Amino acid sequence: MHEIIFTGVIQLDSYEFIRIMFVFLTLLALLFAFILGFALYKRRVAKKKKNWQEKIATMISQAIFATEEEDKLGGITKDVEKLLHNSTFRQYVIDELIHAKKNLSGSSTTNLKKFYEALELNNDSFKKLNNAKWHIKAKGIQELAIMEQIKYVKEIFRLTNNENELVRNEAQGALVNFYGFPGLRFLNVTVHPISQWQQIQLLNKLSSAKPQKIDAIKKWLQSPNESVIIFSLKLATFYHCFAVYDTVVNCLQHTSMQVKFSALEYLKVMPQEDTPNFIVNNYASGNKMCKLETLDILKDIGSQKQMLFLLKQLHNSDDDIKAAAAKTLASLHPMGAACLKTHLFADENPWKAIFLQIENERAA
Amino acid sequence: MTILVAEDEMIMLKTIELRLKKDGYNVIATQDGMEALKKIEELCPDLIITDIMMPFLSGLEIIETVKKKLGRKTPIIVLSAMGQENVVLDAFQLGADDYITKPFSPNELSMRVKRYIPSAVNI
Repeated sequence: MHEIIFTGVIQLDSYEFIRIMFVFLTLLALLFAFILGFALYKRRVAKKKKNWQEKIATMISQAIFATEEEDKLGGITKDVEKLLHNSTFRQYVIDELIHAKKNLSGSSTTNLKKFYEALELNNDSFKKLNNAKWHIKAKGIQELAIMEQIKYVKEIFRLTNNENELVRNEAQGALVNFYGFPGLRFLNVTVHPISQWQQIQLLNKLSSAKPQKIDAIKKWLQSPNESVIIFSLKLATFYHCFAVYDTVVNCLQHTSMQVKFSALEYLKVMPQEDTPNFIVNNYASGNKMCKLETLDILKDIGSQKQMLFLLKQLHNSDDDIKAAAAKTLASLHPMGAACLKTHLFADENPWKAIFLQIENERAA
Repeated sequence: MTILVAEDEMIMLKTIELRLKKDGYNVIATQDGMEALKKIEELCPDLIITDIMMPFLSGLEIIETVKKKLGRKTPIIVLSAMGQENVVLDAFQLGADDYITKPFSPNELSMRVKRYIPSAVNI
């Protein structure tokens, strides 16, 4: 007679219950064995990696201090020589060299580059450029850029127009690393947009490059690629390129608001006598951001000639524009402040308070 | 003359160790803060070079322990990453004597060390 075992709501035959428990415990044991095996494997890999890291660190540190006469490969022992046939080991060596290059300066970095070339690790990095996977391509570019492998510039230049954004970014950054300002020649051919972040990165890299005349900037300001125009406007602003003033003024008529805004930023920094006229003439075609920027620029470079225009802006339906126009009017000319007081809605709130605040700011 | 170097990155540790050994110093190299402090207490090095970010015990804690709790006057040079100005200021407040920012030249580090303790070898 079978024993009936009640387990909650389910009635089980004892034989079936034992069978289920057996299967469950077997699976549990297998899972435990797998976890243990995996943990032991990971531990072994970590131990091997640590052992390798120590060998690599010793080898690299000796290479760093090797003199011209000493053999750069003198620090390589026989077991390391064998390991250099292992591609994983070679990649660890590259990673450590890159890390050292980023953290050291001076003559030691020259030795790091020579060591990298002596071990022919540049070939490993170069092979990555032909890999189908984008992240491996990008890593290859980064390695070649950091280790100053200018001889691969042709292949890297081709990748500045790659479909993958991160590959493009690495390639563009590499060119700037190699050549500084002349490295920007990829702007002549790039068809993909250059993101704001990438623009910041490039400007950051250029800040440590030797300042040079950017002859091609006029051409870039007329590029069919909007992001190239925006980046060029940033360059022109940052590096005070007076020679492109006329081309920048033409950018005020561009259909893109971002381009217009960037052009206004240039004109804010490098105004000329006719700048107020240009920006007022292009005011209507701008969006709110461009209009506010225009009104802000006029605070510094405007004159009585713009007073009528500013008085007209006090009737704008947007309160932000009204307030900005009022501030500019007040700072432009003593007549401007007087105009505010006698204006149509000078006694209405919140305008009474705004005009009073503007007056106090001026007094301060 | 003995120098203790505490730096968790192996390549940087070996580089600094080799540079200082070439200058004729005895070097105690450690990769974690706890071990560094233990060795400082046992071996009383003549100078300490420490990174800020380290496992188990940070460089700032090492400086505080050495200068305030142990009351030692051992010169301490701090290795800091670029952009860690606030941390460097904290290190000085705790009693650090000098700092060097990464990326750094090992030769420059060597010259800074010589300001505090003479080397056995002239470059």
